[in-house]
Amino acid sequence: MPYLGCEETVKELKRALSNPNIQADRLRYRSYITRVIRSMTQGLDVSALFMDMVKASATVDVVQKKLVYLYMCTYASHKPDLALLAINTLRKDCADPNPMVRGLALRNMCNFRMPGITEYIQQPILTGLRDKASYVRRVAVLGCAKMHSLRPSTEIDPSIVNELYALLRDPDPVVMVNCLRALEEILREEGGVVINKPIAHHLLNRLKDLDSWAQSEVLIFLMRYRPRGDDELFDVLSLLDEFLQSVHTPVMAATLRLFLRLAAAHPAVQADALLRARGPLLAACGSASRELRFAGLCHVQQVLRSQPALYSGQYKRFFCGYSEPGYIKLRKMEILVELVNDENVVLVLEELKSYCTDVSPELAQAAIAAIGHIGRTYTEKCLDILTGLLALQQEHVTSAVIRTFRDLVWFCPQSIGAVCRAVEVCGENPQDTEGKQALLWLLGMHGEQISSAPYVLEGFIDGIKAELSSAVKTELLTAALKLFLCRPAETQDMLGRLLHYCIDEESDMCVRDRALLYYRLLQCGVDEARKILLGPESDPSMTVLAGRPEEPVGCWASGFNTLGPLAGADAHPDAPPADSSAQHCHSTEEEVVSKPPCQPGLTLGPPLSHEAFERLWVELRVLHRQTLGFPPPAAPPETLQAVLQLVKVQALAFSRCEARPWKAYVCARAGSTLVLAELLHGDPAVPDSQDALLLSVKQRPENLQAIRGFVSVLKTSAVQVQGQKSVT
Amino acid sequence: MIGGLFIYNHKGEVLISRVYRDDIGRNAVDAFRVNVIHARQQVRSPVTNIARTSFFHVKRSNIWLAAVTKQNVNAAMVFEFLYKMCDVMTAYFGKISEENIKNNFVLIYELLDEILDFGYPQNSETGALKTFITQQGIKSQHQTKEEQSQITSQVTGQIGWRREGIKYRRNELFLDVLESVNLLMSPQGQVLSAHVSGRVVMKSYLSGMPECKFGMNDKIVIDKQGKAGASDEAGKSSGKQSIAIDDCTFHQCVRLSKFDSERSISFIPPDGEYELMRYRTTKDIILPFRVIPLVREVGRTKLEVKVVIKSNFKPSLLAQKIEVRIPTPLNTSGVQVICMKGKAKYKASENAIVWKIKRMAGMKESQISAEIELLPTNDKKKWARPPISMNFEVPFAPSGLKVRYLKVFESKLNYSDHDVIKWVRYIGRSGIYETRC
Repeated sequence: MPYLGCEETVKELKRALSNPNIQADRLRYRSYITRVIRSMTQGLDVSALFMDMVKASATVDVVQKKLVYLYMCTYASHKPDLALLAINTLRKDCADPNPMVRGLALRNMCNFRMPGITEYIQQPILTGLRDKASYVRRVAVLGCAKMHSLRPSTEIDPSIVNELYALLRDPDPVVMVNCLRALEEILREEGGVVINKPIAHHLLNRLKDLDSWAQSEVLIFLMRYRPRGDDELFDVLSLLDEFLQSVHTPVMAATLRLFLRLAAAHPAVQADALLRARGPLLAACGSASRELRFAGLCHVQQVLRSQPALYSGQYKRFFCGYSEPGYIKLRKMEILVELVNDENVVLVLEELKSYCTDVSPELAQAAIAAIGHIGRTYTEKCLDILTGLLALQQEHVTSAVIRTFRDLVWFCPQSIGAVCRAVEVCGENPQDTEGKQALLWLLGMHGEQISSAPYVLEGFIDGIKAELSSAVKTELLTAALKLFLCRPAETQDMLGRLLHYCIDEESDMCVRDRALLYYRLLQCGVDEARKILLGPESDPSMTVLAGRPEEPVGCWASGFNTLGPLAGADAHPDAPPADSSAQHCHSTEEEVVSKPPCQPGLTLGPPLSHEAFERLWVELRVLHRQTLGFPPPAAPPETLQAVLQLVKVQALAFSRCEARPWKAYVCARAGSTLVLAELLHGDPAVPDSQDALLLSVKQRPENLQAIRGFVSVLKTSAVQVQGQKSVT
Repeated sequence: MIGGLFIYNHKGEVLISRVYRDDIGRNAVDAFRVNVIHARQQVRSPVTNIARTSFFHVKRSNIWLAAVTKQNVNAAMVFEFLYKMCDVMTAYFGKISEENIKNNFVLIYELLDEILDFGYPQNSETGALKTFITQQGIKSQHQTKEEQSQITSQVTGQIGWRREGIKYRRNELFLDVLESVNLLMSPQGQVLSAHVSGRVVMKSYLSGMPECKFGMNDKIVIDKQGKAGASDEAGKSSGKQSIAIDDCTFHQCVRLSKFDSERSISFIPPDGEYELMRYRTTKDIILPFRVIPLVREVGRTKLEVKVVIKSNFKPSLLAQKIEVRIPTPLNTSGVQVICMKGKAKYKASENAIVWKIKRMAGMKESQISAEIELLPTNDKKKWARPPISMNFEVPFAPSGLKVRYLKVFESKLNYSDHDVIKWVRYIGRSGIYETRC
């Protein structure tokens, strides 16, 4: 009962806490304090007891102290003046001979969330950083971060930052990791803790002593480090190698991510790392706890995006257990679809078929959709199974099968005949909107091959008054008209009735307008209607290329081992972006979404040296030339470089702003393509460059889409520079 | 980094709430309850995203543990943290239940205070935590010098898991190899997936700071020795006895560097009970039982089920607590069961025939046959036929793991390896042991 009788409770507790008899009895006193905390947990406002609780903090009983501190940390921001009363006791405790008491006091003092506290805690924290007990040092280091979070706007104290950098060499591993965490938070504005060569190597060498959480965090910090040269890179990788086989999934995943990033320029090393991580990832997929299994599966899906063949031998590991929760089964089915090849297709289909009768309609439908997906490659086998499922005569199964048929016919025109026969004999019609739409589409599109089509359609038309969904009605109109065009004799009468009803009685404007449109179209003549309604059909002699192209590892590696893969299909638009690396992963995701998947956005890569640029520029020929329609930006070269860096374009050389002719050389990467470009203005030898910038692009290998992406990026950033200038 | 940690009961009432970061407000507690615990449909994912805040949850019996964060964290890490949290709580007060949590809530707050600071995991080793957690409430100023120095030495992290000066009159060691074998078999008797997850649990009552060395029939070690010594013949014969371990984890006391270089497991044991290692094998598993199902549908209202179980281990060994669970359709009206051994009963509430056998020797077989009467229904839905599951306990390790030696060295005190009384026991239990029918 959190809200009822709350005042009563507070009053009673207050009476009890101020009762000297109870105060004298240690156990009873503590039990009342416990009750206060319990009420607090339930959401009761017990801030009125603050004074009594402060009194209770002056005790030698450690448990009581901890409880009171917990209380004070929660309410200190409401009662800053009273909280100051407790500070004295806390400061005294900070000098206690027992390191545990020192640590406890310091930690809680830092936890008080009120702005005025900083001046009181600064000194104890500094003393704590030099304490001989590592327990106190751990607390003090994080205390620095807490202090900063209380006053985020104030200037950063360089002495503390230096001290923390020095403590990275602390013998206690937890102190070291805490230092990284604290520095990261304090220096967030400046881009976080700096990982230079000595620090990176120190961290790599200490990695073994850390617990698994610290390891995975340190591995993420190490992503900032770029080894100089291949020799160092391979030294680093060989140090990391053993962690790739770690039994702790998070550590393994973090190592793999680091591997993929460090070896971005060496695809062979990346592939090898993925192969070596296969065992541990599979182990995660079979782990005893379902949540870890889920995380493992999501990560396997990521790997499959670029190496679909890697796991196909292990397909049996992705068969669903009966008692597994739905979210795991769904992921496993998605993976199974990716793993299908000539050898295992029979067994996989057999397995998926058994899921089609699952108790949960959602899972059954997902299984049917999965079979349909496989059907794009192995059409005949899947059609047999799907047709067999229609015989079950279950509503949700039939609906899903019909929907799958619709998609299959679209992808594999050679399956039209078999699908039409199956629809023909199907005794039951789907009852849900989606299923009805799919059936109507099939009837309209391929009505000439389904002899019973007019009868089915008539059933729908007779029941139109009871139909609620306007989407179904519109689909029905289209289907009836299409069928009329190929089988006029049987359909004319019912089409008339349908149009009459829809124009005269229907209240939904969309449906009515559609009906009117069709009516007038028919008035213009049948040939006219046929031309408009029956578009080009897919050519039955052609087949779709099965499977999607393998993506480069870089597309997903940045999001690996974050929340990204887990959010998956039902990704929320507002997935929490956080640290810089996460934002980066987010932005690449958006790029992938906003552009068609085959057009990679600009990607980061190792910077190109000036010599290499010059050599390439001479070697290659100009592929594309256009004027950009604006004069060169009047900003100094430094600003331009910074702006271009943001959009992943490397600037190699600029002229000064007033110079005529003005020139700039830039380069960028889009996936595996290297784009080189020259910007030219005011060169008397080139007439096009008189008024506006002239852009010439060279490329290796050729990729026209990359050029388009590159040009649009350049244009937006130029607009940005112009905008900045006008503001200043 | 974790912004806050909440524990709820099955009704969604908050039992524990601890917030570590300012960006997590009180409304986060309610958001999780409304969107996940009280949600009408099934749980869609263990990670839920509500208003830019991520909730990671784990359910233990009917208790929900939820970690909250606004950062883009590593999901597997948070889950592993939650499991560790569960392990620590179990080590302190046994089963995680609403009652236990309510009774120990002071302790849990103390634990949360030590395990996480500002949302960062600090210390989660149960043994080391015991120093900081004072359930009885010791008085800080009346501590003896000795206790203080102990804390200091543990706090400074020399050997966090064992204190100095332990003495026993009888030096004893108990070693249990506990395995759970998981199986999914097709109706035709084809193994779809099988793995064993095992634990080596030790109880040590040893004086001083002993050094222990543990050896088992690990394939890599045996192969190495086979190469080094004797003829090829001997190597082959011992090769059959060895097992291939897929992956393993150790208690922090094991020197990992030694394991990596020479694959020997040496350690200074903690005092009392602890889990030395955890491992998984997937190859050459001895499946203690085979289940052969036979289901025949006789018309629309009758089913005939015959299930044979065969035990597949040495005849001298006895399996115990055998339970076979044969699922029945929802529209079952009556069941007649005949079994040669043990007792079988139809449990309508569980929709299953439960067949229990107290003991069964190796290389035997036993069968049950049942006639299931069905009510005629107009539900056209076909019965989904859940798999037949089985429970048992056998006195050997289904992975084939054997303890080869367990040596104790203590240089300072005068007892040797021979004076230590050692007990070794193997227990194989069923995990998820299912046969489709």
